[in-house]
Amino acid sequence: VSALGDGARALSGGTELVPLMREGLVSVEELVHVADVVPRGIDGTRVGAGTTLAELEVDPQIPDALREACRLAASPQLRAMGTIGGNLRQATRCWYWRLAFPCRLHGGDRCHARDGEHREHAIFANGFCASAHPSDPAAALLALGATVRTDRRELPVAELYRLPTEDDRDVVALEQDELILELDVPRPDASVYLKAMDRRRWAFPLVGVAAARAGADTRLALAGVAPVPWLLAGEAALEEATPLPGTAYKLELARALVRRASAAVAAR
Amino acid sequence: MARLIKTEKEVEGRYTETWVVVEEDALDQWPAGPGAVVGRPAPRQDGHVRARGEARYTADVRLPGMLHTALLGSPHARARVTRIDLGAAAAAPGVRAVLGPGDAPGLTAEPEYEGQPVAAVAADTEGRARAAVALIEVEWEELEPLLDPDEAVRTRSLIAEPRRHDRGDLEAGLAAADAVVEAEYRTSTVLHNPLETHQAICEWHGDSLDVYVSTQYVWGARDELAEAFDLPPDRVRAVCEFMGGGFGAKGAGGPQALLAAELARRTGRPVRCALSRREENLIGGNRNATIQRVTAAGRDDGTLTALGGEFVCSLGAGGWLPGTAGPMQMLYACDNVRTAEFGAKLNLPPMDAFRAPGFVEGTWSLECLIDKLAAALDLDPLELRKRNYAHADPMDGRPFSSKNLMECYRRAEPHWARRHEVRARSDEVWKRGMGLASQTWYGGGGPPSYAWVRLVADGGATVVTATQDIGTGTRTAMAVIAAEELGVPLDRVQVQIGDTSRGPYGIYSGGSSTLPSMGPAVRAAAADAKRQVLEIAAQRYDREQRVLAVRDGRIVASDGGSWPLEEVTGLLGDGQILGKGARGPNPAGMRVLTFGVQLAEVAVDVETGEVRVERVVAIHDVGRIINPLGARSQVEGGIIQALGHTFSEVRLDDPETGTVLTRTLDAYRVPTIADVPEIVCEFVDEPDEHLTNLGSKGLGEPPIVPTAAAIGNAIRDATGAEVTSLPVTREEILRALREARERESGRVAAPTA
Repeated sequence: VSALGDGARALSGGTELVPLMREGLVSVEELVHVADVVPRGIDGTRVGAGTTLAELEVDPQIPDALREACRLAASPQLRAMGTIGGNLRQATRCWYWRLAFPCRLHGGDRCHARDGEHREHAIFANGFCASAHPSDPAAALLALGATVRTDRRELPVAELYRLPTEDDRDVVALEQDELILELDVPRPDASVYLKAMDRRRWAFPLVGVAAARAGADTRLALAGVAPVPWLLAGEAALEEATPLPGTAYKLELARALVRRASAAVAAR
Repeated sequence: MARLIKTEKEVEGRYTETWVVVEEDALDQWPAGPGAVVGRPAPRQDGHVRARGEARYTADVRLPGMLHTALLGSPHARARVTRIDLGAAAAAPGVRAVLGPGDAPGLTAEPEYEGQPVAAVAADTEGRARAAVALIEVEWEELEPLLDPDEAVRTRSLIAEPRRHDRGDLEAGLAAADAVVEAEYRTSTVLHNPLETHQAICEWHGDSLDVYVSTQYVWGARDELAEAFDLPPDRVRAVCEFMGGGFGAKGAGGPQALLAAELARRTGRPVRCALSRREENLIGGNRNATIQRVTAAGRDDGTLTALGGEFVCSLGAGGWLPGTAGPMQMLYACDNVRTAEFGAKLNLPPMDAFRAPGFVEGTWSLECLIDKLAAALDLDPLELRKRNYAHADPMDGRPFSSKNLMECYRRAEPHWARRHEVRARSDEVWKRGMGLASQTWYGGGGPPSYAWVRLVADGGATVVTATQDIGTGTRTAMAVIAAEELGVPLDRVQVQIGDTSRGPYGIYSGGSSTLPSMGPAVRAAAADAKRQVLEIAAQRYDREQRVLAVRDGRIVASDGGSWPLEEVTGLLGDGQILGKGARGPNPAGMRVLTFGVQLAEVAVDVETGEVRVERVVAIHDVGRIINPLGARSQVEGGIIQALGHTFSEVRLDDPETGTVLTRTLDAYRVPTIADVPEIVCEFVDEPDEHLTNLGSKGLGEPPIVPTAAAIGNAIRDATGAEVTSLPVTREEILRALREARERESGRVAAPTA
């Protein structure tokens, strides 16, 4: 871990970092292959950060919401390489950001998506930056109340992310050289992940909804609706959304999926 | 005997009148139905070499000493280069040549769309070429891009003169109607995304030029390069052995070949120029977006009294005006039709032909509109189509060479009858329904096209012709035709194509014209070779030639005599028999078109707008089917590609800068195998008795034409929602569902409205 930072980046499955390097969005002087030091595998509620999405989607110890979120993510090839630790740190698919427009996430002073094409963008917390967080598993882990252990601390998934601000444009609350090692994924009584996408497979979520119930307590979390995975304080909180002209449909989608997800995990 | 005729030549719906030297087509057509080989399923001849990775695509060509090219594309949709310094790039490691604006065709100092090539570098490796491009210093004067098609039409920024068609009296037709329906339909810019991007490798040998190029037209590439470098055409050899798709966007050599040739000339080395996926999706061509404001009117008895439309095509900075109004002009017998088509010139990448250009877009609007009219007249959509059947070309009254669309409709009936049962399987959330749409398109092919058939001592045959296989199975179809005519098993026939220096002229692989153009020439060549074999056999076995035939690889005589073919061909030693054949003329005074109907069954989740296409039935009339397996593959491929523009494929452009936002395959979404429904495929398989010695038309394009409209109509049948824009995204379907609910509640509130 001491090798990280200062232009050195951790490489695991490479499904995110390599394309970003190729696009010139991440400049790296050194790649540190961390597969040998990051735990991989599933033991009860503990999940090594090096576990692949393909491994998670089939393991019966894993709650349904996370298994489904993994199964509906990406393609079989990507899931076979991509790790859960890397997935949590993936960057937005906002095309303006990916094309290196001088947008707020890149340190600039405007959000091009707000005035431009934004059909895949955010309906919550989109005033500063309208990008949408693309991770399906992150929303599932957020609903499940999972925690992550890094090489220096433990923190809930909810605290792993932060909205970008004028002073800090990053959406992840970790240090540059901090490495996610392990996750703890509590077992709920019931959980589910529902996802709307543009084709049947291999697409990022237009809206993804995770619901997890432990006893009488149900937690909802959404993917694809805000610059970070979005914890939703109940169905009614959808009405606080601030959709853009081109994302109003996402609110309609979210209403239907939240209703379904809530019903699916409700105690019978 | 060669004959000089003046004929109408059609490519992708564009007609030009030209002189053509044609050979007479002396052969009678084979009887309808399967023969010994023809009409029976034949697996692809090149299936195994493709699957094993042995097929050499242009992308696989590596020549000794070959250099690689990287392009500097304009970062702006409209700009002017005020200063450019190539010095640092030229001095960079591994760089052998640098071209700037004006140094070669295709490099400009005044780009009119993002990605338009401005400079090019040839270097030892791709990486070094790219690194050098980054060193080119450019000062730009940025200019305001024009991006709005309606504004372009208003300000007369047009690629071509507006095209108008006016027959009968539209106003009278509207006045005579019991119902008039209007709608505005839109289609989006979609990208070809061939697996193999545009690319070429050029190598000079003295004053001769070899070009390996991923192209649909090796002769077009040859002519383009010969003209650009002022060479006699036969000094240029264009080669395309295997091709990773083109879909219309690889019409000739293109800027890649021109740049590679210039860089090769300057460096004395072979030079490769290949687009990356991102470049491909910028400058590799596209199907243009459209705005179509259309009207249909009919009487209670179903008679169409008027069709009208204004079609605005967002062509980008170049291209041509495709026949978007074609379906409205040609599909139905309607006396009063008025159309106006506008080709907006915008600061966006130029369109190019894309699998039935114009007709895909125009059929979407027309066939959705016809269903809207059927609903207004309370008529069955299939019945409405039958009642307006065109028995002759509605444009000019010309007879069709053949038209079996009514037979397609008849065969559609049992499938159409399922709609009640399909609808009944709806529940609260998932609504099910069926829709259909008809199709017409060109696909008759034409002269000139030539083929040779070589027979050698062991009785094996090789078809030699310099056409190319765009991926449709041309090789296999040519082998089937030759085997049938020669009377030999299919595995005795090889096909050699894709090289202008190794075979006679073959047509462009586009406009669904390869098979109907090349096929008759191959058959004629095989017949010529067979005639020569029988001449020899008659002398060898002391029989009259007219009593001899070749069947299943044997010479057979009417008196029961039978000898292996190789007994005769064996007499040749290392010699050969060479049969020559040419494509005859098209039937004079007749319209040659393809027809079909498709039916789609969909399930719509009315809460989330998810649409699942559960079944598509495709019934097409393209004359005789040569290879049912290959034909089926074309239909499946066409429908799957149509699912892309129907649901998920859309090129998005930044409305402020004109930057293309969706250029990678994660952002630009082609269908996956999980999106593919059950596809049922039927052919009328009736030879066109007027068309050549085969009676076959092309099938590359027809299947992609009606799918979107059949699906749109199925969505309406299932839910009452009228989708009007492609692709039918969640946003579009949720909008249409909401409007349908509002109409429904409005109707309840005010039944007279």
